[in-house]
Order: sequence, then structure tokens, then C-alpha cells
Amino acid sequence: MTLLIQDEYPKKLFREDGKRLDGREKLDLRPIKMEVDVIKNADGSAYIEWGNNKIFASVYGPREVHPHHLAKPDKGILRVFYRMATFSVFDRKRPAPGRREKEISMIISDCLEPVLFLELYPGTSFEVFIEVVDADGGTRCASTTVAALALADAGVPMRSLVTSCAVGKIDGELVTDLSGIEDKAGEADLPTAMTWFNDELSLLQFDGQITQSELEESLEMAQDALEQIYEMQLDALKRKYINIQEEAED
Amino acid sequence: MMDVKRIISKIEKGYIKNNLKKEQRVDGRGLWDYRDFEIKTGIITAAEGSCDISLGGTRIMIGVKYDVGTPFPDTPDEGVCTVMAELLPLASPLFERGPPDEESIELARVVDRGIRHADCVQTKKLCIQKDEAVYIIFIDMYVINHSGNMIDCGAVGSLAALLSAKIPQGKWTENGPEWTGEYISGKDIINELPLAITFGKIDDMLFLDPNLAEELVSDGRITISVTKDQITSIQKSGSTTFEIDEIKMLSKKAFEAADKLREDLNLWQYAENIEEE
Amino acid sequence: MEEEIDEELEEEIDEDLDEDFEEDTDDEEDTDDEFEDEETSREIVAPGEVLSEDMENFIPGRGTILNKKGTKIISVLVGLKQIKKNYINVIPLNGFYTARTGDKVIGIITDKNPVKYRVDINAKYNAILKPRNTVKRSKMRRRGKSSHNLNTERFDIGDVIVAKVISADRLNNPELTIVGKYLGKKMGGIIISIDPPKVPRVIGRNGSMIKMLKSLTDCNIFVTQNGRIWIKGDKIKKERLLIEAIYKIEREAHTRGLTDRVEEWLQNEKEKRGIK
Repeated sequence: MTLLIQDEYPKKLFREDGKRLDGREKLDLRPIKMEVDVIKNADGSAYIEWGNNKIFASVYGPREVHPHHLAKPDKGILRVFYRMATFSVFDRKRPAPGRREKEISMIISDCLEPVLFLELYPGTSFEVFIEVVDADGGTRCASTTVAALALADAGVPMRSLVTSCAVGKIDGELVTDLSGIEDKAGEADLPTAMTWFNDELSLLQFDGQITQSELEESLEMAQDALEQIYEMQLDALKRKYINIQEEAED
Repeated sequence: MMDVKRIISKIEKGYIKNNLKKEQRVDGRGLWDYRDFEIKTGIITAAEGSCDISLGGTRIMIGVKYDVGTPFPDTPDEGVCTVMAELLPLASPLFERGPPDEESIELARVVDRGIRHADCVQTKKLCIQKDEAVYIIFIDMYVINHSGNMIDCGAVGSLAALLSAKIPQGKWTENGPEWTGEYISGKDIINELPLAITFGKIDDMLFLDPNLAEELVSDGRITISVTKDQITSIQKSGSTTFEIDEIKMLSKKAFEAADKLREDLNLWQYAENIEEE
Repeated sequence: MEEEIDEELEEEIDEDLDEDFEEDTDDEEDTDDEFEDEETSREIVAPGEVLSEDMENFIPGRGTILNKKGTKIISVLVGLKQIKKNYINVIPLNGFYTARTGDKVIGIITDKNPVKYRVDINAKYNAILKPRNTVKRSKMRRRGKSSHNLNTERFDIGDVIVAKVISADRLNNPELTIVGKYLGKKMGGIIISIDPPKVPRVIGRNGSMIKMLKSLTDCNIFVTQNGRIWIKGDKIKKERLLIEAIYKIEREAHTRGLTDRVEEWLQNEKEKRGIK
């Protein structure tokens, strides 16, 4: 690709007033909006806007497995397909799925599986399709969060929702929810996800360099952020029904 | 949740046909009515231009990206505009994973041909330096929900996405192409607004803008792309055949439908205005 | 071939399996509409939410589980919380159809081979219909005489049948029969689909909703547990009105006073649209 403007990173990730480049404090999340039931053809679906990230997720299943040889006789299988649109990033992405997309698909799948009762659906598959149409850092976390909503919207029995968020280190400081620039120019990124039926982490990756005490602090920051996002998820899931109740019973 | 199946029941077939015979459509439309369009542009921050378009239940996200490359030897002063479409398995149980299939290639090709032959995109304006550097414009369509007639939806959406595009302006220097610091607007490269108008055919009954059920029941369709006064591409698709008189009639209907759409949608409103006018 | 044709089973094609029946069913008479229960709250819950920590007085019911330590009752679905006696249940607001023995379903024949039909019943597995379950066991078994061979000539791909589930388990494809009252092939009309958990709502307590829909739209309606509804009226206007009413019921299934509201809506719409 030859582009006329280069994707350059700023030298400093904090402004003079101590705030982050997008005006956030260290512990602030970007604005998040979620909605369920956005793709009528799907068994369940959801959409999330998280900062500039815009992501759709849809769920089909349980349904018979194609190709058939992937079916397991003792339990259902969960298959996650995370994809990015060509125009979702600064340099147009090649249309075919790359290694990164496959890896993230697997990570999200592993992260969601603990909340499902796959043993109840032998021989079938649940397929979760995730399409990132606009990307700005933290798409794996936003995708995990929206995929959990789509599963719940499909009426798939779940032990709980799953919520995901990253914390990281920029210019030597720990911050919550890295934006695209912060992710690329920062020093460390720690995506996490929580399954709420046991309050345990089901996603944890780390790239960068931090001390052990910084890890401890990061995990506490993550927990705090995850709780906030979980509330938004619950609200998105219920709002659809509550709005109808209010409108109808008025 | 919809109950979308590749095998459409005989009951549904019969129902659609019997009502069409009485010039009634199952969704309440007349034979020559479009479903409602809904258009939002400029929604994708990472794209140079974008459009979120719905036609009834069909929804497509379209993004415009650019690249600078060397021109083809036979057109040394012309840029290139390419259209790609993906029928995401997210959008319908009828779509499968894997490399683009015939349906997605057809969608991209028909939209592409409509734009190309109408001189819609002025390829000469996409030249930065003859023989050296031209723009390559990518229009990429991602189908988010499929309920019929993706072609007309994609064609309108592509225009809106292009019109809304804001592309860095290039100049030629010793070091190759460089940014002037300014932008060019999509509207500067668009000359015409060709619209793809698709008709379905079931038995000998013809109608505009087939929905998914009608598409599954029909044996074929025809897409006629038109500008204000020119036909720019025709694509007959499926196993059905058309009488010559039917084509004559439909070509007339295509202009009527396109005129109405042009007025209803007022696509120029989506043009990115670089300088205040 | 997983199944040999039972040669012993020589049966007559039963003529009174009328192919074009348009009778209404009275099956709905004793149906229960849990959405209308006093015990069903308006409280919407989501998977993972704690419904109660009072383990002395409550037992986890449908749509719920106990947490690992056995100290909390937790919802596994999006639904309405219901406390019935000492059970805590969740009445689901969305979800898929799981075939159960005895269910009536509307199915579409999607494939056939000499010994069985495959039927799409909107469930996770396709159902199977064997030819011997398409004809009545005749009282007169005429051994030795040549009679109809049991085969899969009777239905074509795309045919719509109303069938009863005669076996269903977690591992195998459910099996269907079309021998029985109101079962068989459907002709004419149109089929729509709703979320299966909302089927009881369209029927209403003791069939109250469906009776009202029938009388106000003059359409025949046949609702089956897999979320499919067959509709046939004399005018498309009325059919469309009925379809919209059903989608309204689906959408507002979790609200109170639904029957009255739908009735009022139908009356108003009839007037607006000039339907007598």
C-alpha cells in the first residue's frame, strides 16, 4: 500500500493537563453503546460501539454441524469467526482472513465456552460470527462482550454473561481501556474477560513489560472496568424488553 | 428471529404466486414499489467514505478506501475503481463461509459495471501523474442482513459512500506521490448517478425490488442500471427467460423507478463538502 | 439405510387422511399461558443473575441453576422471573425449539430417499418421517395380498405437513407421524414463524387469544409448538392484519393486558383499513 498520509503515532500519550489524548482520565472507559437483536435473520445478534469500534455479532444454533466430521457425539461445539472488514483499519486490510483473525477467533471461543452448556447439545454447533466494521483498539475485548450478548439474545442457556476489557500502560502509567493509538504507541496491553457465574477470568493475554505490583494493580483496574461494562450489558439485554413494556402498558 | 430456509415451502410459493396474480404482494407493496431505503453516511472512522444502507430488511455496510499505484499501461492517465462484496455468514443462514461465491461476485460485478459504464467515476480525475501514479479506489460491501435485492441496495449505497468520501489529495514530486495537505471529495470524481433497478420474474409475472421470499421463489431476475437518460448495464440472471416485449416494458419501468428513487433519495445530499459552498 | 421397510406392515393408504383439511383445532382448550400467571413477575432477568439466596425456602426450577457452592439460584436465560410455590423459574423470552414427544409441529419436507423423509421442523436436528408413519394402520391387514408398497412417493420436497413428534431425545433426529387427528399435509394459506417460547401467548389461556384472533380476522389459524403458524383467510388484507397482530403478540409477549390490547388494536386497524 502506498498511502498519501502515514499512520503516525504521537510521542506523548498524555496532554499537558494530564488527561489522555481523547480527554479521558486514566480510569475512564471510552463511550460504549450496545444493542441486541439487530440482525433479524440470525437466531441472536448484537451490536456494539465502543469508542470508534463498531462491531456486529450474530449467533446461529444449535444447528447440525457442517462439515459433518467436526460434530462431536458427546457435546455441541462452539465456533467463533472473528473477521475485520477491509475498511475497518487505516491500511485497507486484505479481504481473506489472516492469522490474527484466526487467533482472535480461537481466543474468543475459549473465553465464551465456559458459560455454555455444550454437553446438552451433542452433535450440534453454535456459530458466532463477529464482524468488525470499524476498529480502534481493543476489538477482541469489544467482540467478546458483544458476542456474549448475541448468545444471550439467541436464548442460548448460559451460566452467565462474559465481559471483556483491556488495561494497559502508556507513558509509564497504568490506564483502563486502551484506544487504538494508545495500544500501538503504549508499552503494555492486558486484555481480560470475566465470567460472572464464578467471577473468574476467562481471557488473559499480555504483551509488554510491567512489574508484578503493576500486574496486581492492573487486575484491580480491570475488575472495576469489567463491572461497569457488565452493567451496560445487562441493561442492553433488558432494555429491549423494558422499552416494549413501558410503551405497551402505558 | 426469522425462519430463513433454502427450501421454500410449496405453500409459500403458492401464496406468493396467487397474490402476485392479483397484483398483490405479501408485504403489502404494489408491483412497482420499492421497499424503504435508509441511508447513513460517514459512519466508519477508519474509512475514507462509508455508508450504512438498508432496503427493507436488507442491510449493507459499505466502505471506501484508496491506494496509490501505477496505472495500467493502456490507460496511463486513469485511476481505477474496484468493487468487492462479501456475503457474510453473519447475515443469513443461506450464506456460507469461505471464499467469495458466485452470488457475491455477481453482486460486486453488477454494481461495478453500473458505475463503470456510466462514467460515474471519472477515472481521469483519479490520476496524480500520468504513467506514474493513480488512485485505486476500493468500494467494499459487507452484507449485514439479507432479505432480498442486495444489488439495488448495494448500488445506491456505493454511490452514497463514494459521494461522502474524503480522500487525501496527491501531487507528484521527485520522491513520488505526496500529500498536498488538501482533500478531494467523492463528488469531484462522480459524474453521474447510475442506479441499478432489479425486477423479479415469477412465471410470467414481473415486479420491482424482490424481497427474499420472492427471490427464492422466482426463477430469475433482471437488473437494468440507468442514468437519467442512458442504460448503462443489464444483467439477466437465473434460469428464467424474458420476452422481448417484457424487456422493452421493463427498461421503461427502470427509468421511471430510477427517476423516482433519485428524487426520493436525493443522493447528492451525501456529498462531502470540502470547502464551504 | 438405517431402517428396513417393515414388509409385514401392509397397510392401506387411508383415504380419510384428508389432504386438504381446514378444520380448526380445539386442542388449545386446556392450554396454559404462563405469561398471564399471577406468579410471573414483570421482572426481566438475564443469564447469570442471582434470583435468590434464600435456599431454605426456594428450589431452583426451570431456566435456573444453583451456583457451585449451592448458595444461590441463578438464571440461565433472558426471561421473566416466576416464583411458583417454592420453585423459582425463568419464563424465557427468546430461544430455540427443542422437540418433545407429543408436540405438534409444522414441518417442511426438505429431502427424501426411498425409506424416509427429512423434515425441517425449526429444531436443531431435522426430523425423520418414515413411510409407515404416513398411513393409518388398517384394521384389515390383508396378508399375502399385494397392496401398496410403503414408499416415499406421497410427498414432495417443499410439501408442508402438520405432524406429531413420536420420539425425541438428545442424540437422534426426532421422529414424526402424520397419523392422527388434524395431522397431514397442508394446502394453501401461509406459514409464519415466531419465537417458539412465545407460542403459548398466541394461543392464550384456554385458547382465549387465538379465539379472539380467529373471530376478528375470519382467518383459520393453526399454531404448533415449534413456533410455526399456519394462516388462511379469504382476503390478503385480513391475512396481513392477522400476521401483524401475531407479530405484535410476539413482540409484546412479556407485557400485561395483552389480549385486551391486541383486541383493541385489531378493532382500530380494521376500521382504518376498511376491513369488515
